Amino acid sequence: MSTGTNDGERALLERKMRKALQILILQRGRNPGVKGWEMKRHLGKDYKTILEVLSTDLRSLGLEVHEVPGIEGTDDSTRYLLRFRESPTLSEAETAGFRIDDLAVLAASVAMVNSKQGRVGRKELERFLREKFPRWRVDYSLDRFIKRGYLDQDDKSLLRIGWRTRAEVDEKSLMTIILSRDTLQK
Amino acid sequence: MPERQDKKLEDILRLIELCRSVQSSSVDPFQVDIREKLQTLKKHLPDWKLIDVMLMDSEAMQQLVAIVKLQDQWIKHRASSLYIDPLLLELKIRLLSREDLANSFVKCWHPIAQVDQLTAKGLEKAFVYWRDLVPMSERFRNEFGNYGTVAGPMDFEELQSLNIFTKEQFETRLQKLDDELVQKAGDTEMDYRSFIEAKTFEEKAVRAYLTAFIVTEGRATIRTDPLTEKIFISPVVGKPGSETKSVAIEVT
Repeated sequence: MSTGTNDGERALLERKMRKALQILILQRGRNPGVKGWEMKRHLGKDYKTILEVLSTDLRSLGLEVHEVPGIEGTDDSTRYLLRFRESPTLSEAETAGFRIDDLAVLAASVAMVNSKQGRVGRKELERFLREKFPRWRVDYSLDRFIKRGYLDQDDKSLLRIGWRTRAEVDEKSLMTIILSRDTLQK
Repeated sequence: MPERQDKKLEDILRLIELCRSVQSSSVDPFQVDIREKLQTLKKHLPDWKLIDVMLMDSEAMQQLVAIVKLQDQWIKHRASSLYIDPLLLELKIRLLSREDLANSFVKCWHPIAQVDQLTAKGLEKAFVYWRDLVPMSERFRNEFGNYGTVAGPMDFEELQSLNIFTKEQFETRLQKLDDELVQKAGDTEMDYRSFIEAKTFEEKAVRAYLTAFIVTEGRATIRTDPLTEKIFISPVVGKPGSETKSVAIEVT
């Protein structure tokens, strides 16, 4: 009798996990990811446990469920995303449509914004980047990264870290790697 | 005495400007001495009598609050492990090659995995939407009669066909308005907005429409003062000039 109950619970959990994966993998709305309140509506109040189990199961596929805290700091505003557990190689990133120059502009921009207490004037950043990249590349890349959510620009033309960078990039590691790179041989 | 008052007002304006410039740049917010600025505001407060100046004073206070908020964020960021001396980082980025920078980025990058495609449910929704969508020619029939067009500029023929004007009425009203302009403005010019002013908005729109015809026909000219942005209209006596320019004026 108890085995039957366990089987039922297991089947329910598996069904909910499948549902969670479907919700996470299909883009709903403009930005990827699903907010906590929506997860609760689809999976019930124990959605966090379901997502944890799903994340563990996805490990073998090189994926994980990642949570990005919302501005309000509540469970409902937290955004859940499916992302790659391992970082891609440079050539893999290139096949996904990112040129080395694009990634270099993004790395420098994110590091610069973080070193300037989380906000930097667009003009100031452009001036800095133009020392290394052509003007058209800087303008094009910044606009592209703002559009894709890696950077956020307000009405005063101040750039901040965008939601996508918070979701996809380990910012602390980026700062450490940039600082620890050997530049003596350059 | 008024000079001292002006000096105090200038202090407030300068304070607001300083706070705004700090907020719109990456300047250290601690460069604003909050204590000193608050004391200045406190010292000047009993002298303010006019509501406009008091509002300016509260605006200055609000700007100072925004600076304190920025200072709070600044401290939190500095306390976090993300803080690195900007100069050191700038130097490091200058020395690194593009490949090094790109490599640094991909090492801490975990792209989002997602599928952007149609589902059977989405396809069904799209089909139902398309099936129930009223054709363009019928969509605005209730609002615009048989025209089936969205809002946009109307020409004289359209207004005639909608019975807003008949040709005779139009000519009569045009002449009447022209006479009114000559009578009101005389040899000088007058404010355009007060000329087209009427009791109802509909009447005002009609006056603006007819005035546009008077100007187009060269019976009047319109001039905009670049400093005040005020628009003036004046009747033209004799032959109209050859130099014409099209301008759009909003009627509110």
